[in-house]
Amino acid sequence: MSVTKSEDGRILLQGVCPIEEAEALLRCLSEVPGATVDWSECDGAHTAVIQVLLAARPSIVGRPADPFLDRHIVSWTGAA
Amino acid sequence: MNEFLEQFLIESRELVEQATLDLLALEQTPESRDRLDSAFRAFHTLKGAAGIIEFPAMGRLLHAAEDVLSEVRAGDRTVSLDLISLCLACLDQVVQWLDEMEAAGNLPADPGPAADQLAARFKAGADDPGAQIAVAVAPDGPPPWVEALLAAYPDASAATAVRYVPDAGCFFRGEDPLGLIARAPDLQHVRLAPAAPWPPLDALDPFRSNLIIEALLGAGAGAVADHLRTVSDQIQVYPLAPPGRPDGVVSERARAILQAQIDLVLGARGEGFAGTLGSAGRVAIAVLGQAGLATSAVAHALAESLTAADPSRFADALADVLEPVASRAADEVSGPADPGGPDVVARALRVDVDRIDAIIKLVGELTVVKNALGYAARRAGEGEEGPSLAASLKDQHALLERLTAELQRSVTAIRVLPLRHVFQRFSRLVREMSVSLGKPARLAMEGDATEADKVVVEALFEPLLHVVRNALDHGVEDAAARLAAGKPETALIQLRGYREGERVIVEVSDDGRGVDPDRIREIAVARGLTSAEALTPMSDEEVIELIFAAGFSTAGAVTDLSGRGVGMDAARTAIERLGGRVTVRSRTGEGTTVRFLLPFTVMMTRIMTVEAAGQVFGVPFEAVAETLQIARADVFRVGAAEAFVLRGRTVPLVGLGATLGLAGDGDRPPTAKVVVTAVGGQLNALEVDGFGERMDVMLKPMDGLLAGMHGVAGTTVTGDGRVLIVVDVQELLD
Repeated sequence: MSVTKSEDGRILLQGVCPIEEAEALLRCLSEVPGATVDWSECDGAHTAVIQVLLAARPSIVGRPADPFLDRHIVSWTGAA
Repeated sequence: MNEFLEQFLIESRELVEQATLDLLALEQTPESRDRLDSAFRAFHTLKGAAGIIEFPAMGRLLHAAEDVLSEVRAGDRTVSLDLISLCLACLDQVVQWLDEMEAAGNLPADPGPAADQLAARFKAGADDPGAQIAVAVAPDGPPPWVEALLAAYPDASAATAVRYVPDAGCFFRGEDPLGLIARAPDLQHVRLAPAAPWPPLDALDPFRSNLIIEALLGAGAGAVADHLRTVSDQIQVYPLAPPGRPDGVVSERARAILQAQIDLVLGARGEGFAGTLGSAGRVAIAVLGQAGLATSAVAHALAESLTAADPSRFADALADVLEPVASRAADEVSGPADPGGPDVVARALRVDVDRIDAIIKLVGELTVVKNALGYAARRAGEGEEGPSLAASLKDQHALLERLTAELQRSVTAIRVLPLRHVFQRFSRLVREMSVSLGKPARLAMEGDATEADKVVVEALFEPLLHVVRNALDHGVEDAAARLAAGKPETALIQLRGYREGERVIVEVSDDGRGVDPDRIREIAVARGLTSAEALTPMSDEEVIELIFAAGFSTAGAVTDLSGRGVGMDAARTAIERLGGRVTVRSRTGEGTTVRFLLPFTVMMTRIMTVEAAGQVFGVPFEAVAETLQIARADVFRVGAAEAFVLRGRTVPLVGLGATLGLAGDGDRPPTAKVVVTAVGGQLNALEVDGFGERMDVMLKPMDGLLAGMHGVAGTTVTGDGRVLIVVDVQELLD
């Protein structure tokens, strides 16, 4: 349930990310332009969180654990 | 605005409130005759009022709703979820008109086509959800967005296309558009696009939706529209009708199965009846879902039949489906209606005549005192001195004091509103949030007659919304987890209000999983809010309070980044602005209770006076934790600032005079007099030259040129006629 920064500077989305995390994610992305987002442990995300990813277009690694995100959303975030 | 219209607005809002409450109660207990009659009366009276102010569109809409309710009263129609939703949509439209009228001061010039479309939906049959939500049948081929969507996915074999444009404020109402789409039946493809080009990151408001969601689904339009019914004003549903599955038409095989279920239940009586009915119901609902038809009407009828131990309702509902589905009236819903936002406040008040009478009586008594004082002044003017004059003046003063206190109480009483004003709005919000989050929940209210100042009651909506939404979103487990934990499937959200001395307490409780202090510790450290060392001595209770810390749930910049934070710190800020406090109690597995401790009125402020730089200032009493004198030797420098240690905590110390930009404190006495303030859990100390007295004052906010003055909460006039400046401790230290 959180957005955190890993030691190597990546932004991690883990668990289910509720709406509040949108602001935390936006803050992380604003602080570190060009940061990489890793959502391989993401079990779900509120629309607001996904919207931040769409607007910021960070480089994204990993495929989210949540099947809906993986199947329907990943391609819109610009990730491979 | 003329008085006539003003009166109409007040009355109509009351009627809408009444009707909303009745409809929601009816949804819980569809057989309640009283609620039905009361809802009918409210609609009827509203219709009459619309006729009086000559607003035909409103009259037509309410007439359609009234007709449907009248059929229910006559027993020709049953109360269904869809019927309630449609009636509520009708009230939404009315509220929208009322808001427009209130803003413009006259009738809306163009009531828009929405009302007549809504009215047509009543006529089309409120029990038919497929017809109820905008299932667009295009006369000249599919609209461009459908063509574009199909072109993007040429291989799709979808039955329905959906275009969902969440309105900008939808997150704030607790909606999660993609979450809703994710759970849509037989989802095949999703397309996302920004509604307006993405702004640069620093201008992005993460809590305003800017998305267009388009999707292709395998399920029929009826089932899709039913799934998305809570956001029916924001979606367009287009049936693609692939070969073999025309929407809304039941195949011969399905028809045979459904007919068999009807025969089965009509034959079943006595023992084993419930089991037969239940399994027939499950089969029928599965078949309907498979055929892409809405199932809620049948499900509802099934529940009714089970309760009444009479299969006829269920059989009738199924028979209705088997009727050749009449050509569905296509009523494309107009653009998303402006939501009757959360900012609607009661601008006009109804005041009890008794309260006015009490004030008039007090004013009369004041006149008597005024005359008596005039007489005493004359005696003094004539040179009279001595104890008799002094005694008379003293008496008059005592009387005046009593009267002004009473007058103040009476005037404050006019400004009070029952908490019901704000509580009521949550009946619907909880219902809608519960549907959109897919977690069944009900709301219970207690003490909604408790009164508080109008300003407090009106400002409560937003912080309550944050907390209620949080409770549903994070506190309450999903139905499966609740059942596994041995709790009832439907979660309970409770709003409670009560008086405690001079305070009004408002509580929001849920029976969810509670706050996990260990999880809070992890996040607080991960977010850099506090260090692991600082957390070690903190009790679980103290740790839980961290959910209110700025930066815990949102980035702290409630104003900078989003302009409107969505989170617990925003709730705390709003409550503190009212002079209140927020606390939270949580038991793992049992639930969480958030308490707002509010002042009964924001008009009177208790302050303590202090001296600094040769002047007297007021400090709000609620911000003062304690006053003490410390030896200068115990104050140490930290960089350019000063601090001292109080019971093991380092407290920063600033001079009040210097902070306000007044002449320096001059020579520093060997003991420093300090006022320790506690704002937002943060201890700070202000050094002053002397402590004064406590008093209750009516705070006047700064206006004109002084409005922007930093660190000043307002002014008040003291007994000796001087103007006293009251500082805003939080702003002063920021």
